[in-house]
Amino acid sequence: MASGAGEWSAEQIDNYETLISTTDVELLKRAWRNEKASPEILPFEEALVKRAKEQIQLMEETVDDFAESGHDPLIASLYQMDLDRAQFLLRSYLRVRLQKIEKFMFHIWKMDTYRNRLSIEEEKFTERCIRDIGKHLEETVLSKLPDNYQSVLKQSIISEEDDMVPEPQLDTFVVAKCERATRPLYLDGSRQSASFDSRQFAILTCL
Amino acid sequence: MHGRKAYELVKEFANGDKGHLKIFNNELFEQVIEECNEHHNALQSLIRKMQEEGLEVQTARNADHYGAFIHHLSLIRNKRCLMAYVHNRAEIIRELAWKVGLLHELPGEIQEKFSDLEEQYFKDHSKSLKSYMSQLSLDVNVDMVPPKDPYIKVRVLEDLGSGIILSDKSANFARHSMHFLKRTDAEQYIARGLMEELTG
Repeated sequence: MASGAGEWSAEQIDNYETLISTTDVELLKRAWRNEKASPEILPFEEALVKRAKEQIQLMEETVDDFAESGHDPLIASLYQMDLDRAQFLLRSYLRVRLQKIEKFMFHIWKMDTYRNRLSIEEEKFTERCIRDIGKHLEETVLSKLPDNYQSVLKQSIISEEDDMVPEPQLDTFVVAKCERATRPLYLDGSRQSASFDSRQFAILTCL
Repeated sequence: MHGRKAYELVKEFANGDKGHLKIFNNELFEQVIEECNEHHNALQSLIRKMQEEGLEVQTARNADHYGAFIHHLSLIRNKRCLMAYVHNRAEIIRELAWKVGLLHELPGEIQEKFSDLEEQYFKDHSKSLKSYMSQLSLDVNVDMVPPKDPYIKVRVLEDLGSGIILSDKSANFARHSMHFLKRTDAEQYIARGLMEELTG
């Protein structure tokens, strides 16, 4: 490059970012970020989580080996730090999902779209959550109310739909980063089109 | 007054500190339940009256119909308030289950704020979380804050003695003593309020 070793061309940066963005850590980071920012539960990244777990285990073994063999403690602690970060990402990802489940369990359970996004373990967890809170509400409140008003999901027997189920508020704003330049898009059914450049940030409605 | 008591109940919760529980207001709670049953009795007697007058309950639109309707709406409102009260408290209870329930008994001063049923719910939910984690063989209740450094400085707040052996060493954790520990080791003691992290 004529401009010197310190500066990279846009193409090189793009190539570098594409390469980096395909590593599992980066993918996990993206999944975690998306999950944290979205009001509803997103599809579970099963393969990614499995790979991340395996890699973490491998790292743990490496760190243990270092500790046993009396390797340079600085190197060991660098590995440890990297390991800690990966573990945090994975745990936080799973945790954010569980917290969404706890909050909107009835809603997630009755909508097939959401239910299919859960992992097997999460599905079991949701089931147990519903059972527990159902029992709790039943014993504390519902069993003491008149017959026609005892449903957890409905206000009374004459409600046609489930009108007591907390739902995530989807009509909200999200900040999005554009991965690739787009064609002009018509968002929100508006007449004005907008196109986005690569790596541009935008605030959009979620729906 | 229709719905006044239920309103007070919800208001009491809403006025509390965020994330903190007050003692379960059993007295007010029972009064609202009582009110619900009164509404239901009034509702039924109005419907009976309409039936005795030979009116079609579904279609008739006389004073009794609207009276019954008001009772129905009041009942629903009360139900919503009761449910909101219990549901929002349950949310705090779940938070507590995340923080402490998986490792230890709850401290007494929190436990006495619970109703008996809430105590049961706390245990049930902690178990559900535990079973999720054991299926995954991964603890999701540690690492609550992003790690900056593998080691942190902590001060011991309560006398823990020397009985505790951490993954790489054991030390005398006397009250007010300060240590430089692995974050993963210290985290559970911080969560229980036995140690505090020193920053800065």
